[in-house]
Order: sequence, then structure tokens, then C-alpha cells
Amino acid sequence: MYHFSKEQQVFDISGVPVGGQPGEYPTVLFGTVLYRRKGSALEVKPREEVTSQVERHLDLAELTGVSGIVDVFIGDMEHVKPHVDFILEALPDDKPFSVDMPEAEVRVETLKYLGELGVLDRVVYNSLNLGVTDEEIETLRDNTPKASIVLGYNPKDFSCDGRMNILETGAGILDQGLVDIAKDVGIESLLLDTGAVPFAHNACETLRAIPVLKNKWGYPTGCAIHNTVESWLWMKEYRKEHKESYNICDMGSNGLVVQMGGDYVFYGPLRNQELIFPFAAMVDTLMSEGAEDYFGVKPSKTHPRNRLD
Amino acid sequence: MDEEDLARLYPWGGDIRVGNPLSPVAVVTMAEDFRFDPDQVAIYGNLKTENLGIEKIVANVVSNPNIRLLILCGREIKGHRSGNTLAALHANGVDDGGKVIGAKGAVPYIENVSREAIERFQQQVEIMDLLEVVDQDAVQKAVDDALGRGLECFGDPYMAEVVSSSASSTGTHLKEDVSLHRTLSIDLYGEIGSMAPQLPLNLHREITTDLYGAIGAS
Repeated sequence: MYHFSKEQQVFDISGVPVGGQPGEYPTVLFGTVLYRRKGSALEVKPREEVTSQVERHLDLAELTGVSGIVDVFIGDMEHVKPHVDFILEALPDDKPFSVDMPEAEVRVETLKYLGELGVLDRVVYNSLNLGVTDEEIETLRDNTPKASIVLGYNPKDFSCDGRMNILETGAGILDQGLVDIAKDVGIESLLLDTGAVPFAHNACETLRAIPVLKNKWGYPTGCAIHNTVESWLWMKEYRKEHKESYNICDMGSNGLVVQMGGDYVFYGPLRNQELIFPFAAMVDTLMSEGAEDYFGVKPSKTHPRNRLD
Repeated sequence: MDEEDLARLYPWGGDIRVGNPLSPVAVVTMAEDFRFDPDQVAIYGNLKTENLGIEKIVANVVSNPNIRLLILCGREIKGHRSGNTLAALHANGVDDGGKVIGAKGAVPYIENVSREAIERFQQQVEIMDLLEVVDQDAVQKAVDDALGRGLECFGDPYMAEVVSSSASSTGTHLKEDVSLHRTLSIDLYGEIGSMAPQLPLNLHREITTDLYGAIGAS
């Protein structure tokens, strides 16, 4: 059980608190929707089915007390408007959402569209990373999202310090650290991501970096550790006959993030929500009991410990 | 082929299917589930990421000098643009910062294989760009055509070593009285702070955690 001497920031992202001391606020679960390696989910699934997944996400958050934010994947320019329009229709007007756009030109286009629609105060930008471009920075100044994932992935150095360097100094790849870039463009709520990598690439540093970054900056910190599990070569074959084993590894990995003091996780496809919410509620309750016993940290009003008997 | 042979031929491993090691053809199928006659193709498989995945391809190609043609086919990986990045690496190499020149990938950095290995990759293989081709018959025809070209072995295998990173948070940088990381102290009740602790304790008053995180009795 851990507690930080450094003051821990708590950001309110359109009604969803993220950050704080371990055990204080519920973990924020980001589930990704509309991701497909080929094309868009909207092209192969009935729109109503995807909408109902989004609604179920909100229901599970309400039921368990664990926070949830839907993450919308936008893989190319042609899907910027359809995917943004979809999530705005699927969610109530006051709910936050995250937009996941690996390509810089897609990020720019999406920012402009979100700005036109006037919904940037509900947006978690996913992500500000070392692939940031000058055009993207200028677009961020004019179309500033409420919050941003700031990714500590550093291909030069997979160690904990490598992750810290890309955030603090740019690690010789960028002229400026990503944290300063985020602050300079006016992003208020920084969510640090320790950048999950596959096994054999110092994957454990993804977890070790969590308390290190929280201690340095006090910002909410998390990661998408499920990517490490997904890339596990042995499991790729084994899971074909043992799906339940994969699910346990996949979901269980998220508990390690919380145990290390993490504030949020990207758990993968939104459809795994039935697996992750009760699991996260259990982990949050355990952490909260310890945090109160050891450090006197009270769980927030909506925390699973105050929601579930 | 036994595991020893496999490790010798393709030491970086990965999500690959191995066929005839004497074949001059390898295929990157992006996200497609294509299958090829193992007698015809040396190695084939998917490619997901525009950095670590490409590094494995480079290392696994140069270790088998019989491979002279690398066919890229299938739909591009959305967002990552891994196929574009691999083609750009072959055409342009990397800049001083390890960034693949001219790549459109999200994070197109090659850091764990040496410049020398990249140059060998560029010299050893020709790239056939069939990205966005999803008709396996068309890809198979390209394989058949290549096998008729009489492509010869490039020479000796090149065994690419992993380029070690600065790894600056390994134990060598830790001091005696810290745990997890040199910037953290964790007191006997688990309070995390920035100063070196008076006691090298962690998690509970009855256990100690040494500089490598090993837990013992206090």
C-alpha cells in the first residue's frame, strides 16, 4: 500500500474525477470502441449494437462506482467525422470521451472538428506523444482539449528513466519535454501514460514508472498494460483454445497498474467491460481499505467501496 | 526444423510462420490471414507496429541471406502505417535520431537494431510493394514470379544484436537506501517521497526492500 508525499492532482473531466492518492478515487477505465485492424466497426456491426455497448459502459460505471470513459478509435481521415458524430450521438451531452488517433494528421483534423462542434471540454486527447508535429502543436493551441494522455513511450530507452526523459526533456528526440508541450498549449488536465511495451522490452518498467511519475509531477498516471498481454507470443496460440485464460491475464494485468498506484487504465476493447468493471471494483475496494487503514485516506463518495456491499 | 535451427535462422523470433529456409522470398501480410506453401516461402507473417515489429523483420531477414525479396501485401495497419514505414526504412533509412525518413507511421523510430543492420537489410532485399492488395492469388503470383527469377544467396548471415539502450534506471544507478527507483523513497509505512529514506523499508514495518526490490525480513 502506497501514499505519496507529493500532492496528487485530481482533475475533473466533465464530471469524472481522475487522480489523487491511491485508494482515494475510483480507477478510470477507458474502453476503446470502433477499433478494427481493417476498416471501421460501424461498417461491420449494426450501429445500435455499438451504441448499446456504450450505454452499458455508463450503466456499469453507475452500478459499480468505478469510473468509465469511452475511447473512440479514429484510424484515418475518412473516419474522423463519422466516429466523432457517432460518439456524440451515443453519449449524453455531459459525458466525457476520449479520442484515440495514432496518426498526426488525423489528430489535427479531429481537433479542428471537435473545436467546430464546441465539445473540447469533454475530450481526453489520446495522445500527445513523440510523434507530435508542429502543425499539431499549433492546432492544439487553437483547439485545446480539456485533457490529454501524455505518452511516455521512448524508443531509445525502455527504462523507467527513458520514459521520464521523454516527458521531461524530450530525450533528445524532441526539443522540449511532452509535459511542457502540453502545458504550453494550454491543456489543463495531464494524464501521464507510462507507455506499455511487449515482454522482452523491459515491460515491467511500465509498472515501475507509475509511482516514479506520480512522485515527480503529481499528475494522474496509468497505461494500457493490456497491450503487453496481447503481444505475448505464447499466448497468441494458447488463447485460441483457452480464451478464459487469456481473459484472466488480460483483465488481471490492469489490477497491477492500480496496485502500483495508477489512476487509470486503457483496458482494450469496450466489449470487455463486463469483465473489467467488477474486477476493478474489487481492486479499488482492496486499495481503499488499505489506504484508509494505513494513511487515513477516505474513499470518494462514489467510490466502489461506498457503492457495493 | 527444430528449435535450434529456428533460433539460428530467425533469432529475433516473433509472430512468424517459417517455411523453406532456402527460398528467396519472404512476405509481410500486414493484418491479413494469408497462408503460403511452406516450400515456396522462407518466412511470412503479420506486421502490427511501426517500430518494434519492423525491427524484428529487419533482424530476421538479414540473418537468412537466402531471402532476397520481401513482399509487402494486405491492408495497411490503420494509424500505425507500419507497411509504409517498412517501405520507407528500406528506401531511406533512419535519421540521426532513429526516425525512419519519410515514414508516415505514428511513431516510426528504429532504435534496437544497428545502422549497420539496416544498411545490410537495404542491400540484401528488394521490396515489392503490394500494400492494399488483398487478393491472395495476386500475391501468390508475385511469389511464383519471384521464384522463377533465380535470386541467389546474398552471402553470409548477419546476426543483428539488440542495441542496448542507456537503461539508466537499472540497478547500477540506484543507491543503497532506495527502492523501486533512485528518485523515490518509500518509508516503512509505504509513504512515497523524494528524499532518501532513513530506513530502507517498504510495504510493511517487518520487511525490507533492497535496492533491487528484493524483499526480506527487517
